[in-house]
Amino acid sequence: MIRSRHVAQSVVAGACVAIYLFPLYWMAISGFKTQAEIFADPPSFFPRAPTLDAFRYVVERENMGRYVWNSVAIAIPVMLVAVTLSAMGAYAMSRMRSRLVDAALIAVLLLQVLPEALLATPVFIIFKTMGLLNTHLAVVLATSARAVAFGLVILRPMFRQVPYELEEASYVDGCSEWQTFSRIVLPLMRVPLMVLAAITFAQAYGQFVYPLTLLNRQDLQPGTVGIYSFIGTEIADWHRVMAFAALFALPILLLFMLLQRQIVSGLTAGALK
Amino acid sequence: MRRPSWLLRLFLGLPMIYLLAMIGVPIVYNLAMSVQEVTLGNIAAFARPFVGLDNFTDSLADPIFRRVLHNSVVFVLVNVAGQVGIGTIAAACFAGGFPGASTMRGLLLAAWILPGLVVGTVWKWMFATQFGVVNFVLSALGLIGTPVHWLSDPATSMTALNIAHIWFGIPFSMILVAAALTNIPGELYEAASLDGAGPLRRFRYITLPAIAPALFAVACLVAIASLRAFDVIFALTQGGPLNSTNVLPLLSYQASFQDFEFGRGAAIGSFAFVMVFGVALVYVRTLKSEQPA
Repeated sequence: MIRSRHVAQSVVAGACVAIYLFPLYWMAISGFKTQAEIFADPPSFFPRAPTLDAFRYVVERENMGRYVWNSVAIAIPVMLVAVTLSAMGAYAMSRMRSRLVDAALIAVLLLQVLPEALLATPVFIIFKTMGLLNTHLAVVLATSARAVAFGLVILRPMFRQVPYELEEASYVDGCSEWQTFSRIVLPLMRVPLMVLAAITFAQAYGQFVYPLTLLNRQDLQPGTVGIYSFIGTEIADWHRVMAFAALFALPILLLFMLLQRQIVSGLTAGALK
Repeated sequence: MRRPSWLLRLFLGLPMIYLLAMIGVPIVYNLAMSVQEVTLGNIAAFARPFVGLDNFTDSLADPIFRRVLHNSVVFVLVNVAGQVGIGTIAAACFAGGFPGASTMRGLLLAAWILPGLVVGTVWKWMFATQFGVVNFVLSALGLIGTPVHWLSDPATSMTALNIAHIWFGIPFSMILVAAALTNIPGELYEAASLDGAGPLRRFRYITLPAIAPALFAVACLVAIASLRAFDVIFALTQGGPLNSTNVLPLLSYQASFQDFEFGRGAAIGSFAFVMVFGVALVYVRTLKSEQPA
């Protein structure tokens, strides 16, 4: 009785999940269609003659590889800066208690919420004055800022969970503060740091506003800007646009599948506790 | 807690200096620009014509600005209701613990991790008037007679945008609400079942009151995320047609980078800053009240 109700629940829930994820399915199969099939009425829900032509086209003719490379070249430094600075800051915040630290935490929470599209105007002019437009450095610097703030919010509760006794024991054994941090505390934080690295990588990989405003040389632009300019020029070629979007999203989806469980627990700890 | 050492101060200082330089300075610079006339010609100069509050009063007098402000408020309210509402229902369903529940819940998050630009692009294709799958399904179900011009008709464009953006945000709400649900003691439900309360009554009288504070915090986070929305809108409609889906961050971007009126873009940005900060302050307060430590 209970068993059959559980099975029924699973089936209903599975159907809801399938409906919800339909846009992802539609993106993927549209990429496998021919132009004739894209404009078929009624549309086919499974490609009749799956072909890699659209994928080949975006790789060979639309510089897919260069766009993905630029996205990665921006995302990796952002990830490194965010993880390093926020691990340091979150550790300090979890071990110090003063009004200054409270104020810093509130400032971080407030800075974290600001829309990049609003910061784009002043950031563009500041970088223009500094002669940094059309460099990945400018995009990395601007994108890292929010990633650092986000990292501080996510990591601080995690660092608080490390028992202080562990550190005291390490001091008794004659370790310096730096050694205690790098050899005792950081290894315990391996999973949260990995989650933060994955999330900041994914966010920087998908970052759009800063590269759009700070880079106008096409050979420097990441995939997000690439998709956008591709829609502009080839509005009718939806199989190619979808092939581009699917290929571009693939690394992020793979990364997510690997770390899904850890990402879920990391997110909930930071946002509500 | 020990006395803060130099190392800890350095650890706290470095990220804070970075944040001040990369976010604090732009905010102040933005305020300065919003009372200046900033054009392509004087963009790199420090001394620019001071125009007082002209950029603000011009914006307020502009019917487009008022329309966009109205859109922003509607967009935030609809997204909070839709994302938190559907996210809560989904979280409550998955809390049932049937086989495969946690795997399915994890799969849903795949949508959340996607770049906003990809999400907007996929929905643009699905909402296409001709050959779009949304129109096909609706007409196959007999719900519409002629194809709907989802993205090119100002009467339907905001609905299309809301659907796409709510879809994008549901997993985030669901995960946070699910975390709050696990904190409710199971005995409460058992006792209510014994007293004859059905699932809907249990949800109404046990679940909802228990997760109300968390729901409020999640609503704040969704409001903040909706006020930040840019990528999905940019890919889907660019704010059009006729500004029917335009929101403040996008209008600010357009003023700066399409009309090259950077001062006006900064002023519009300042309006939006105030809105986001307002919600963020409420959110920070809920965190403090929930966590006495």
